[in-house]
Order: sequence, then C-alpha cells, then structure tokens
Amino acid sequence: MFILGFHFPADMGNTVPDEKVVAKLDEAGIDVASINEIKMTTEYHGQIEELSYTNKDTFMFKALAHYAKTSETDYMIYTNRYQISELSKRLDGDDETMALCKKLDSMAHFKITAA
Amino acid sequence: MAELRQIAFYGKGGIGKSTTSQNTLASMAHYFDKNIMIVGCDPKADSTRLILHEKAQSTILQLAAEMGTVEDLELEDAMKPGAGIFAPDAPGGWINCTESGGPEPGVGCAGRGVITAINFLEEEGAYEEEGLDFVSYDVLGDVVCGGFAMPIREGKAQEIYIVMSGEMMAMYAANNISKGILKYANTGGVRLAGLICNARMTDFEYDLAWALARDLGTQLIHFVPRNNIVQRAEIRRMTVVEYSPKSDQALEYKELARKIIANDMKVIPTPLEMDDLEALIMKFGLEEEADEDNIGKSEGEA
Repeated sequence: MFILGFHFPADMGNTVPDEKVVAKLDEAGIDVASINEIKMTTEYHGQIEELSYTNKDTFMFKALAHYAKTSETDYMIYTNRYQISELSKRLDGDDETMALCKKLDSMAHFKITAA
Repeated sequence: MAELRQIAFYGKGGIGKSTTSQNTLASMAHYFDKNIMIVGCDPKADSTRLILHEKAQSTILQLAAEMGTVEDLELEDAMKPGAGIFAPDAPGGWINCTESGGPEPGVGCAGRGVITAINFLEEEGAYEEEGLDFVSYDVLGDVVCGGFAMPIREGKAQEIYIVMSGEMMAMYAANNISKGILKYANTGGVRLAGLICNARMTDFEYDLAWALARDLGTQLIHFVPRNNIVQRAEIRRMTVVEYSPKSDQALEYKELARKIIANDMKVIPTPLEMDDLEALIMKFGLEEEADEDNIGKSEGEA
C-alpha cells in the first residue's frame, strides 16, 4: 500500500491508520519550522491561480512541506495530492485548510514550492 | 538473481491498457533498470508499438501461418528487441516484445492466439533469458472469454493490475476481472495487485476508484491524469518516457513504475454484487438513485 509515496507493508491491509502516515511524515525529518509558506500555482483550461498556505499547525502544512522538499520537480503528483487532501479532511478542521482541500481535489494541474 | 515476476494488465477495451502498460513498463526499464518481456495478448497487436516505434509487430499467429505451423517458428522471428532507449545495448533496462495476435475479425477464437503464444514462448525458452526481471501480459478486455483468462488460469501472471476509470462500465469490468481472479486464485496462485485509474477526469473519479479498490480488498495504486502529451508521443509511436522524459506525465508513470516494483500487496479480491457496485456509483453522485416512477423517462419528462 502506498500513501503519500510511502510504502506500508501488505500485512497492514488496505486501510492504513492515519497516525501511521503521520508517523512516517515525522520520521522523514523535514524541518517544517524553517518553512513559512507553501506556494502553489494551479492551472485548469488556461485559468491560472496562485495560492499561498501558511497554517503551520496542520497536517496539511507538514505534508505539503514534505512533498515540496522531497519531490524531484515542483509538479504535484495527482495521487499524492488527493491523498493529502483526504487525510487533511480528517485530521485538520480549520476553514483555510478545508478550502485548500477543495482546490486540491480538483482536476487542475498543481505546481508547489516551499519558502 | 532476483525472482522473475509475471504481471498482467487487464481492463475494459478502450480504457488505455496498452498505453498505460507501455508507458509504465518503459519507466520500469528506463528509470529503474528493469529488463522486461512484453507479451501482447490482443488480436490488434498494439501492446508493443510504442516500445518498437512501429505500427504493429508481426504476431506469433501471423508468423506461424506464414511458416506453416508454430513448430517451424523460431524465437528470434517472433520476439523483437525494443527500439531506442529500450534496446539491449542502450543504457538502463531492455524490453523484448512479442504479440500473440489472433484470427480475422468475426472468425475463430481470439483467445487461441494467447494460448499458442504463451506455449510457444515457454517452449522456446523466452522466460529463461538471462537478466529478465519482469514478464508483462497486456490482455484484451474482459475475462468472459476463457482464452483471455489464460494468463490467470494457467498461473502465468501472478500479479494483476486492472486499468480502469471512474466510468460505470470500466468499474463493472474491473469487478468482473476480479471475479475471474477470485475463481483461479486458489488453483493458480494469481492475485490482484492493484487498480490503476487511467483518468477520464470525470467528477469524483479518484474517490470512486479509491472506494472500489477498498471494497475489492486491494489498493488504488495510482491515479494517472489525462494529459495530451500522451497522444503527442503516440503519434510518434513513442512512450512519454522516451518522448519527453522530464515532462510531468513522465513523472506520473515513473511514480507508478516505482510503486509496482516495490509492491507487495497481492490479494485475493472480494468482488462486489451488481447492486453494491451501483450503490457505490450513486454514493459519489454520478448517478442519482432512480425513483421507480421515473424509470424509462427522459430528462425532460422526469
């Protein structure tokens, strides 16, 4: 089973507990404290939108920071993006994050950088 | 030497199995140095064209007909090395290509070519080639035809990847293929290794594919977005990996390849009843639950 690109052994079944994913993110050792903002650019049918996300206390921030720091390019793999949103809806509750989840769930093409 | 893994890509006709499988296998060879033999199991013989840069390679059935019998056929006549970056002398992994072929449309059994091809390749030692890491079967459509179930039935393909989308019939076919896997799981050892959503970019497609995977007891291993670069590469008879290796879409196939190589989740699936499949689709709003009074009425009437 693969979530956010992490491999979870088959004996864990096909529904991996959220805390196991969070633990994997923590083990990855990304210095989230040094990142202040996640910037994203979305594009869909020629419509471009710039997004900024700064809520550092959320799973969403940690997951996006990890993605931005470990991905080989700034392109966001759709599967990872949808999985981040799916987990964030369960683990975070604030309006700003939920609004971002809605955007991540779209068909748009996303680019991401951490600043 | 690592154990040979035999995988297969199944799915509804027209879902993009051959495109998905060739791009994924190309990534496995190019980025991860895997050596692969493709066994195309579709009478239209399009499972290898992007690897070979050809319209369609001569099939085992065609060549056997030209020679007289399959016994007169040699392996080097039926198996071609990949072109460009997939050639044996190119850096990275190599890909060898074969196509089973089939009868003329409307004549004979289309599955017969699959059986003949696999038996021929086994007898000629194609599976024993030094350094071979993966054999991949690209199989036409559904498994309602026993011939097309051959890679499953005879225990050739051990791990099955179902290419599907969020459309009703693609999900129906995925469920049907799971039934075929279930039927032969105990005798041949075949397992379902995951769903690959070759996206049509319909509403809630990821959620729907994910939910089907969960209910089948497997994983949605990857969601492949739609991107016109795939078609542009196909016009040049190339995979995206070769046509534009740094493109976003190449990254998607690379990630899918990485996951398949590392995948250890191989399950006996738990197929859904038709009512449950329809309920799943309704849950995600693709179909509103029909009021019995509205059955058979047009949009304007109901």
